[in-house]
Amino acid sequence: MLTPSHITELRAAVGAEGLITEQSQLQTYECDGLTNFRVLPGAVVLPCNAQQVQAVVRFCARHKVPFVSRGAGTGLSGGALPAAGGIVISLARMNRILEVDIANRLVVVEPGVINAHVTQRVASQGYFYAPDPSSQSVCTIGGNVAENSGGAHCLKYGFTVTHVLALEVVLPSGELVQLGSPTLDAPGYDLPGVFVGSEGTLGVATKITLRIVKRPEVVQTLLAAFDSIQAAGQTVSDIIAARMLPSALEIMDALSIQAAEAAVHAHYPVCNGLLLVELDGPRSEVEALMREVQALCRNNGAWEVRVAQSEQERALVWKGRKAAFAAVGRISPNYIVQDGVIPRTALPRLLSEIDRMASAEGLRVANVFHAGDGNLHPLVLYDRAILGQEEKALDLSYRILHLCVDNGGSITGEHGVGKEKQEALGYMFSEPDLATMQLVRCAFDPESIANPDKVFPRPRLCAEKPGPYTPHPLETAGIAEIF
Amino acid sequence: MSTSAALTLEQGMAHLASIVGQEHVRLHGDTIVASPADTQQIAEILRFADANRLAVMPIGSGSKQSWGNPVEPDVQLNMTRLDALHEHAWQDMTCTVQAGCSWAAMQAELAQHGQMVALDPLWPERATVGGIVASNDSGALRLKFGGLRDLIIGMTIVLADGTIAKTGGKVVKNVAGYDLHKLMTGSFGTLGVIAEVNFRLHPLEDHTRTWTAVAPDAAIFAAPLRALMDSQMTPSSVQLRTSKQACALDIRIAAQPECLDEYAARIQSIFGQIAIAESSEAVWQARQQLFDKNDAVVLKVSVLPSELCSISAELQQWAAAEALDIATVGQATGLMTVALHGAPDAEIALIERLRARLTDSGGSVVALQIPDSLRGRIDVWNCHSNALPLMREIKRRFDPNRILNPGRFVGNI
Repeated sequence: MLTPSHITELRAAVGAEGLITEQSQLQTYECDGLTNFRVLPGAVVLPCNAQQVQAVVRFCARHKVPFVSRGAGTGLSGGALPAAGGIVISLARMNRILEVDIANRLVVVEPGVINAHVTQRVASQGYFYAPDPSSQSVCTIGGNVAENSGGAHCLKYGFTVTHVLALEVVLPSGELVQLGSPTLDAPGYDLPGVFVGSEGTLGVATKITLRIVKRPEVVQTLLAAFDSIQAAGQTVSDIIAARMLPSALEIMDALSIQAAEAAVHAHYPVCNGLLLVELDGPRSEVEALMREVQALCRNNGAWEVRVAQSEQERALVWKGRKAAFAAVGRISPNYIVQDGVIPRTALPRLLSEIDRMASAEGLRVANVFHAGDGNLHPLVLYDRAILGQEEKALDLSYRILHLCVDNGGSITGEHGVGKEKQEALGYMFSEPDLATMQLVRCAFDPESIANPDKVFPRPRLCAEKPGPYTPHPLETAGIAEIF
Repeated sequence: MSTSAALTLEQGMAHLASIVGQEHVRLHGDTIVASPADTQQIAEILRFADANRLAVMPIGSGSKQSWGNPVEPDVQLNMTRLDALHEHAWQDMTCTVQAGCSWAAMQAELAQHGQMVALDPLWPERATVGGIVASNDSGALRLKFGGLRDLIIGMTIVLADGTIAKTGGKVVKNVAGYDLHKLMTGSFGTLGVIAEVNFRLHPLEDHTRTWTAVAPDAAIFAAPLRALMDSQMTPSSVQLRTSKQACALDIRIAAQPECLDEYAARIQSIFGQIAIAESSEAVWQARQQLFDKNDAVVLKVSVLPSELCSISAELQQWAAAEALDIATVGQATGLMTVALHGAPDAEIALIERLRARLTDSGGSVVALQIPDSLRGRIDVWNCHSNALPLMREIKRRFDPNRILNPGRFVGNI
């Protein structure tokens, strides 16, 4: 619990205008995009520079008060869920683009800068910032760094980590350090590499040096309608086998098409498997490859193949795809968004299995995938008003994740582990794997005050002896077994 | 074997032989060379070394053994028996390969399905996956495909205490847990032993063409290089070569065969008066050739891309003034390899001057190859990062007894 003297210290750190302690205002911060977890923080601070972040984190370190940093709160795994009675550090006021260096293709931003604003800032010079999570019009670069956000175009362009060259970070001790450099391969460990995607557990990024990319000469987007998801999936495999690297390869099933149509009228063909292929690059090359893609679609039985004829048409195609999660709200009172990854080739088999599992529970699952990289977003539809259905839906969504792991995949491709998938992380990684990750955690944050009780399956303390599994004495003696 | 170890050489040999078999242990000077057959044996060797405080140097072919600060290991962990490509899921475009596999052997197998790990490191015939990853080597393809941090999707590592840990996975898109493989990449074997690496793959570039432009001074290339990089063409590689005699800019593009002529015309229009001629793939060997002279100092220099031409030109001016022979090969990414040849004092002065020159822009100079006569007189890493205490703490957590390549890395980690 925060005492009045704590509040005085925090006010000294960020000023009265940067401190929220009013119960009603605190409620704004009690959850992120994963709304079924809610915790009221003790206080919210809104620092406006790195020194203020340092002052707040030093306060937390001094009093062993947990802190959770927060961008726009659009995360889908509970990563920005407050720690009970702890501090939420909102980076919303640190939203300046500090430097644009076109010659070196880099931009330096504060963490509260909105993803899409980076592209807007450099678009007139013909550049863009590649990672494009569906929430890009509101989510922040700081949050993207925490989650290592991807998006539809990461098949070709890579993830946030690909585009972060350097970071200024306030460590959980309150120290300010520079990780990486605007030049490549700075001597030392690749700390930006491990910081990006650490979900706020290693410190607070206060300045981020991003790489920007030249906008391609042309972008062409194709929609192909198939009678089955399997046929759409086979086409994806054929495109990859033909040695192409499209900038995006997306599949939507009948339910998600129906939802997207209801929400944004994207004029999608009504079908069981809709494939979206985007190619970009120099004009002559894109045109040649697009002809090949069209042929592959037809070979796999596509009955409608359509290339967007204008930028408006293209934007509409994407609007439907990016609105798919929220749109599912139009066809179901409640839903759970999942985020698993499987090797691309396992796609047809897994989809049948997910169908079977859903039917057995009397539930519907809408499927949207980044098919090129095997990233599935099953949307488990349910009605909270029906007794027991929410539990069934949650259980199904976790079983889908297990299925992904069993098939050589991952429990999360872009949403992060956060609060939601801590236990699933324990399913994916063994005890020694997790203990090794914990070594990094403890080097950065020995007191476990940065976003505690997230990511890892159970609260761990840095004094715990890491290393291989040590059997309990009772187990060794053959008296008990640990399952 | 170091005198601090409370163990005789014979005892050490005998124990390691009991792990890997008699025929896989030998003595090289005072160092025991042990060649494990699998990850389990690596773990057993490390547990033994850790308990007895023996310094361990993991080694592949030894092609980059002299990089970093010198280490006198008690045990050399020879990884070359772990040389299998375990899995090539070509339809998923991923593979899993053991650390001791040579780069060329791995690529040859992947090529059977028209795929590759999109990286062109030094000495591919000899160099092993583990050594390349541990030293974070990369070549001219980095411009298009990124470095190892962008190509590695998972790893199996063995920690100093024998813990075997997996990180990442076998899928390209994956944000579950910390990316320990990024920490391991370029850590020069100081945090753990890399046993196995999972890569994402790319299709082989079937149709490529290389063009070269020649000029008397690198500075002449500054404007066209900037225009090329600002164009919407996507070259696989762009490198600037300079020497006392001349300098050249090489451009390689992979594309549909019918598009290559168009690119030639576009490049020529960017370069205007400077003639562009088709050249051979052999120009991409230039970086490796800088290491050929054993008595040359070879530096890895990282500059901002916009500084590539100016720094290269300045280096040649300095060289002329100091009677040094300098050859450089710099990628458009800003990563340069620089070979110096001349009087030792002049070489040292030049390195200091270059480091001072790059301070403001955040560049770096690491001395990779140092002739014996200069060992100890050159600061290999010159790392002034304020994150060095954090790096030391990571090392302490991973390897509390400092058995893995002690002292080899930045800040004597």
